[in-house]
Amino acid sequence: MTERASIGTPAPTDWRDAAHQRRMAKRYGAERRFRWLGLGAVLMSAGFLVVLLVSMLSAGVSGFVQTQIALPIDFAHSRLTIDPAKLRGPGADLALAAADLGGATDAAAIAAYGPEGDALLSDGAWTRVRDQLKADPSLLHRRATVWVPAADRIDIAAKREGAPADEAIVAKLNAAHALKTSFNSFFLTSSDSTDPTMVGIWGALKGSLLTMFVTLLIAFPVGVLSALYLEEYAPHNRWTDLIEVSINNLAAVPSIIFGLLGLAVFLNTFHLQRSAAIVGGLTLALMTMPVIVIASRNAIKAVPPSIRDAAFGIGASPVQVVFHHVLPLAMPGILTGTIIGMARALGETAPLLMIGMRAFITAPPGGLRDPATVLPVQIFLWSDQVNRGFVEKTSAAILVLLVFLLAMNGVAIYLRNRFETRW
Amino acid sequence: MSILVLFFLITGLGLIAWLSARMRAARFRRASKARFSSLPSHFGGFVAMWTVLPAAIFLAVWASCAPGLVTNRVLTEPAAAHLPPPGFERAAILSEARSIASGDGFGTPTPLAATLAPAYAAAQTRADWIGAGVALLLAFASGAWAFTRVRPDFRARNQIERLVMALLLAAALVAILTTMGIVASLLFESARFFGMVPIGEFLFGTHWSPQVIDPRDPGASLGAVPLFWGTFFIGAVIAMFVAIPLGLMSAIYLTQYARPSVRMWMKPLIEVLAGVPTVVYGYFAALTVAPLVRDFAVAIGVRWASSESALAAGLVMGIMIIPFVSSMADDSITAVPAAMRDGSLAMGATQSETIRRVLLPAALPGVVGGILLAVSRAIGETMIVVMAASGVATLTLNPFASATTVTKQIVDLLTGEAEFDSPKTLAAFALGLTLFVITLLLNIVALTVVKRYREAYE
Repeated sequence: MTERASIGTPAPTDWRDAAHQRRMAKRYGAERRFRWLGLGAVLMSAGFLVVLLVSMLSAGVSGFVQTQIALPIDFAHSRLTIDPAKLRGPGADLALAAADLGGATDAAAIAAYGPEGDALLSDGAWTRVRDQLKADPSLLHRRATVWVPAADRIDIAAKREGAPADEAIVAKLNAAHALKTSFNSFFLTSSDSTDPTMVGIWGALKGSLLTMFVTLLIAFPVGVLSALYLEEYAPHNRWTDLIEVSINNLAAVPSIIFGLLGLAVFLNTFHLQRSAAIVGGLTLALMTMPVIVIASRNAIKAVPPSIRDAAFGIGASPVQVVFHHVLPLAMPGILTGTIIGMARALGETAPLLMIGMRAFITAPPGGLRDPATVLPVQIFLWSDQVNRGFVEKTSAAILVLLVFLLAMNGVAIYLRNRFETRW
Repeated sequence: MSILVLFFLITGLGLIAWLSARMRAARFRRASKARFSSLPSHFGGFVAMWTVLPAAIFLAVWASCAPGLVTNRVLTEPAAAHLPPPGFERAAILSEARSIASGDGFGTPTPLAATLAPAYAAAQTRADWIGAGVALLLAFASGAWAFTRVRPDFRARNQIERLVMALLLAAALVAILTTMGIVASLLFESARFFGMVPIGEFLFGTHWSPQVIDPRDPGASLGAVPLFWGTFFIGAVIAMFVAIPLGLMSAIYLTQYARPSVRMWMKPLIEVLAGVPTVVYGYFAALTVAPLVRDFAVAIGVRWASSESALAAGLVMGIMIIPFVSSMADDSITAVPAAMRDGSLAMGATQSETIRRVLLPAALPGVVGGILLAVSRAIGETMIVVMAASGVATLTLNPFASATTVTKQIVDLLTGEAEFDSPKTLAAFALGLTLFVITLLLNIVALTVVKRYREAYE
């Protein structure tokens, strides 16, 4: 008894003691602060995303809208010498190219808006006149009003604050109902240009699609096959360890290193065309392959062994087991990983800069060997432009890129939810 | 014969081989009641494989050695005697003759090239016909041989499966080849660079100005220490200053406090940050963040405020890195056994005390591994610094001053118009090698730490 007393039992907690109450309040205060801190971190991270998207949206939406000026042209009395009959045949483009449409457009602008009138129009305004003539050759006999894109500074003044002089011109044009804004379909159908009112993303988008085509064609089969080998057949020895280590390391190598590889191997050793979609596709394929391998291996690993045992049990060979049973069951997971890898490749810029896909290209590439650029590189190139008109175009191109990425990720999530089996 | 016609011919032969072997196998299968190891389509595949593969392999070999044979043939022409001795000029004339012969020469050709062009064209046509003829013959012969082996007792399936296994192995080897390609190309070009510039001057020199390189002493203006410092400062200090607290606290909140519905929405939302293309971050940094940072610096009275400050690039990079840190921390925290947490809570600790005293120490190796991976991602990141950081290399501790990074310099060096053999362009490969080695080491250390930690709780 005395021994136990000498060890001493702690006094029971006095819950109403003031010191204890203070201590508890302090601890609960710390708890609350910690919790708020965590919530703040989450909200801040999500807030960054919102700020990023909102800033791109607010700057980019106006890139899809174009300010147009009404241009009355008296085709009948202009100096244009076009035979209307020629416009109905296959020689239309040739006949229109020979005529001085640019001069006629400028003359019409000067006639309508004074001596500075031609400066109000975009440099490419005459192409709109040309398209109108091609669509309706009867215009040549009469007077018509063609809506043509306004010059860059007028466009800026009409959308936001421009220079005071331009603001005055916009006010005057508005009063004369000679100004309208409409959806800039040109932006989605044309290519790069030096004039921000005439630029479009179709060239870059087509380059991106061609590049992605090459990437998918190479990275998908190679990635899936090597994942099958590593998961299903590979013996455990030093060689397969080496393969595994190199795949895991490749997945973490900075993308710019792949650009250096593409430059040294595809351009300087194999002498493939600079800035061609095929080189970009090959480079991105090497970059995307490890991502696909890792995703595919996880998907294959998730197929339960009982499936394989059942197939072996009814006499399938190892190749039949894998290709008839394991691979189809793993496919949703593999496709999800592939789409995510492709989305990453679609947004990639740095390696493509290394292999020269940063050229100024005004026509969409016709094939895999033509000089091409891709959407992210186009964004990078436009962001470097001094001209203020490119700001909204850059943001608009970013929006297009983000829409594509969002769609791809959406498909990936849908696939995962719809087809993935939980065993 | 054009390559496309040849391709279709060989594919057609393969198709015919497949169909005929399949039919033959089907016939003897019907005739007998015995069980076979292979299906008719296996026989078809076997014969088609023997029809297409030898021809394809031959064509690949032929395509690589035919140009040399063609050139040798042209050199036996009498006109070739006037060619200058082997060297750059000779190669230029030959390549000009080749482009005239293939029909895409432009401008006025040099007379010698023009006289050699017909010989070139003739030799090329000859080589094409020989290649096509041998390929077709080979396809036919090996296909016919394979067809004679289509008998009931032949195990065609095993042959096909052997080919499939070879394909699988070849696919897996691509990864090794890529790694070797990266290492070899970086090492090879860097070796040429270090032949011009001593490795010590490159690694420890403190002056970097590749715009003006003294040809007698290129190493004097190619000292990479300011780049290494800038990379470390932007990627490992400023970016982590943003990413670690935000990422870690987000992970803690989402795993420990948030309701499942909140977690279900917020976790993917934060991960979207990692999916935004880096060029978008770069644009955001250059257009929105950099001016704000500069104005702020001017407002608090910093004298050397650059509009291409290290802080702007680092902040945006930190935002990009948040999801890497948070998802790694998320994984490690959820991997801590629930018994540890429950024990701490049962002893009367508050939730935050449990997190700080029990969960975080237990999850620390995983968190540290994740941070190392994030650092390696940050220092390899290119577009943000290309668009928002400066090109001027300075050794500075001031976050408002301009700083440059390894990746930014690689892009700047290689997108100029300099010829490929100058120390300036080769320096990019030396920088690439350094970057590769550093990120590799970081990844190996990080993965080892994470792996050891996982083993501790499994």
